[in-house]
Amino acid sequence: MALTNWFEHTFKRRPWRTQRQAIALVTLSFFVAIIIGALYLAQAANVSTTGRQLEDLILQRNQLEQSNEQIRGEIARLQSVPRLRDRARELGFVDATVGSIEYLPVLGYNPDRDERPAIVIQQPEADVPVYDETFLGWLQQQWDAFTSQQPTSSEGQP
Amino acid sequence: MQQQQQIQEEMFKRRLPVVIFGLLIVSIFLLGRMVSFQFQYQWAPEVINYLEGLRNSGYSQTLRLAAARGTIYDRGLQALAVNTLEYRVGISPNLVSDPRQVATQLAALLNLDELDTFEKLSTNEPYVLLAARVSAEIGHQVAELKKDIPGINIEPIARRSYPQGTLAAQVVGFVGGDLEGYYGVEGFYQEQLAGRERDEQVSNIPFDLPVDREEDHGGNIVLTIDRDMQFLAESELQTAIAESGSRSGTILIMNPRNGDILAMASYPSFDPNTYFEVDDASLLINPAISQQYEPGSVMKVLTIASALEKGTITPQDTYVDQGSIEIGGRTIENWDRQAHGVVDMTQILVQSLNVGAATVSLRMGPSDFYSMFRAFGIGRPTGIDLQGEAAGTMYVPGDENWSESNLGANSYGQGVAVTPLQMLTAVSAIANDGLMMQPHVVRQIIDGDIVQTSQPSALGRPISAETAEIVTNMMVAVVRDGLDGNASVPGYTIAGKTGTAEIPSPVGYEPGVSIVSFIGFLPADDPQVSILIKLDRPSGYWGSQVAAPVFRRLAERLVILLKIPPDDVRAALAEQGGVVSEIDR
Repeated sequence: MALTNWFEHTFKRRPWRTQRQAIALVTLSFFVAIIIGALYLAQAANVSTTGRQLEDLILQRNQLEQSNEQIRGEIARLQSVPRLRDRARELGFVDATVGSIEYLPVLGYNPDRDERPAIVIQQPEADVPVYDETFLGWLQQQWDAFTSQQPTSSEGQP
Repeated sequence: MQQQQQIQEEMFKRRLPVVIFGLLIVSIFLLGRMVSFQFQYQWAPEVINYLEGLRNSGYSQTLRLAAARGTIYDRGLQALAVNTLEYRVGISPNLVSDPRQVATQLAALLNLDELDTFEKLSTNEPYVLLAARVSAEIGHQVAELKKDIPGINIEPIARRSYPQGTLAAQVVGFVGGDLEGYYGVEGFYQEQLAGRERDEQVSNIPFDLPVDREEDHGGNIVLTIDRDMQFLAESELQTAIAESGSRSGTILIMNPRNGDILAMASYPSFDPNTYFEVDDASLLINPAISQQYEPGSVMKVLTIASALEKGTITPQDTYVDQGSIEIGGRTIENWDRQAHGVVDMTQILVQSLNVGAATVSLRMGPSDFYSMFRAFGIGRPTGIDLQGEAAGTMYVPGDENWSESNLGANSYGQGVAVTPLQMLTAVSAIANDGLMMQPHVVRQIIDGDIVQTSQPSALGRPISAETAEIVTNMMVAVVRDGLDGNASVPGYTIAGKTGTAEIPSPVGYEPGVSIVSFIGFLPADDPQVSILIKLDRPSGYWGSQVAAPVFRRLAERLVILLKIPPDDVRAALAEQGGVVSEIDR
């Protein structure tokens, strides 16, 4: 009660103190605004930087995709039949003729045989432990582990 | 004075509610308009778009994202058409500080005249074009140079590239400068390949995170064309044209079981990478599907098959060949102008007798004859998935151009025009137990995770399996007994028929020139491929002498490529229950 009275006395009866209070509040508000502004600016700058980095990454990805496409085209050109044929001839390969091919029938082998699905033998499923741990249970476990590590009075003594 | 003041006050008090009421009404009206403006209840969509555009113009911009065209592959997934980039290189001379040094560097890189380049750089122009199109490799080198030299402008240009060059050019088609597909698969599947350009709103506010501006990719297309077989067909065709002195030609290879076109080669052709350098626009068109010709004697196969199917003849039936026959006031003669006496139906094909074919068609009568030819697809397009297919021409009774003599002439392939594809599709029905399959060149369309695979579909069953087997045996006899081994491959049974057609002109048939052809399939007992060879205006006149040997050479290489063992090996395999089939059906 006395404290309340002191506050009333101090702030109501002393106008100069009210002015100081106002100045303090304004100053405080100013600093709070600056801090909020600074935080906002920092955040915005961070977002902008991330945005620029993302832009760069998108650009880089697009360039890499174009480059891949270019390389795919180049590979296809290098694998074109006339080029492969010329290269094979350079290496000494010659065209096969009907007479130069020998077919060896493999007894019992049928390339177009009916596909029979492999028979799957059902294996008995192993018992999988059920996960039913609760927080309290875990706490109890930890406590038990902790207490089991506590040396008994007789341990560690001769 | 005081009284007057009181009167004024009273008047003021009386008028004040009126004014307040008036202002209230106006305020409510304005408020109502503001609300309606805000929520745009009654605005037309274009006004809304305009206002939204006005609102967004300061904060965002619209970017048009180009679409990346899909790749075209052969059936073995070898790329036939891909996208590449080229670059347009320009420079702003007013930003160049040392024109001499820059001119030296750029001229060397872009293969330009150094003095010309220096003169261009010495001006005060804001922009000068240095090279309209340079390769990606040079473009990247210029881009490196740009880091040190201000003012260089390098702009990417999307371009379609065909890494296999001229291979299958008339099947694939090409993409023009406007990035639209023309002819072939590029033209027919333009919508599926092209992808979609789209407009994306991009924020100008630096605090907004960028959206992922990924291009829309068109679907990739896998063709039924086999690159190796296509190369084989093209190289054999070029050899044949050179050796026979032909003006042009076509080779088609098809899987008769499912209609897959495995190779479609025509010569002369063009390089789709440099389509703009082609002087003769007809080279861009695929003759295999668009060029009509009178097929000649290969048509006898369809005549005999039709008559057998209708029960007009049996294989054992005979007729007395007197060397000529008159139908509708026109005398029809055999190719050798000789009489052949008593001849059976197989010999009509083996000896390629015009009189025999005309006799059979006469026995059938126009109604049965033309209904069967229609069933074989003569006179209508096959519906292949390529741009520019022709329907062929067949006059039927009732048409102004039809006369009775047509019945005789049509039976041996005169007075009727077909495309090479039509002819092969019809004969492939015989190879496929009478079922005529829809020819097609696209096997799969892959659009992201969606894969559409073309399913074999039948155009119809013009003949029964039994008739097909009889005609196949007759065609085997043609190759075995009628061509002096010109179309035979040792170890393999082949069914086939030659054709020698005169070339019609406005004043009758051109003397001394012909279109020679051969249609066959192999192995005859289990056909895996059907083949058409057609050569225009060779120096030799007869199909049996010019086209049949080309077929033989091609077949010899195809059986190796397709790993088709000789008949005896296949028979040994069949005994074990095995089948050889390299082409997946």
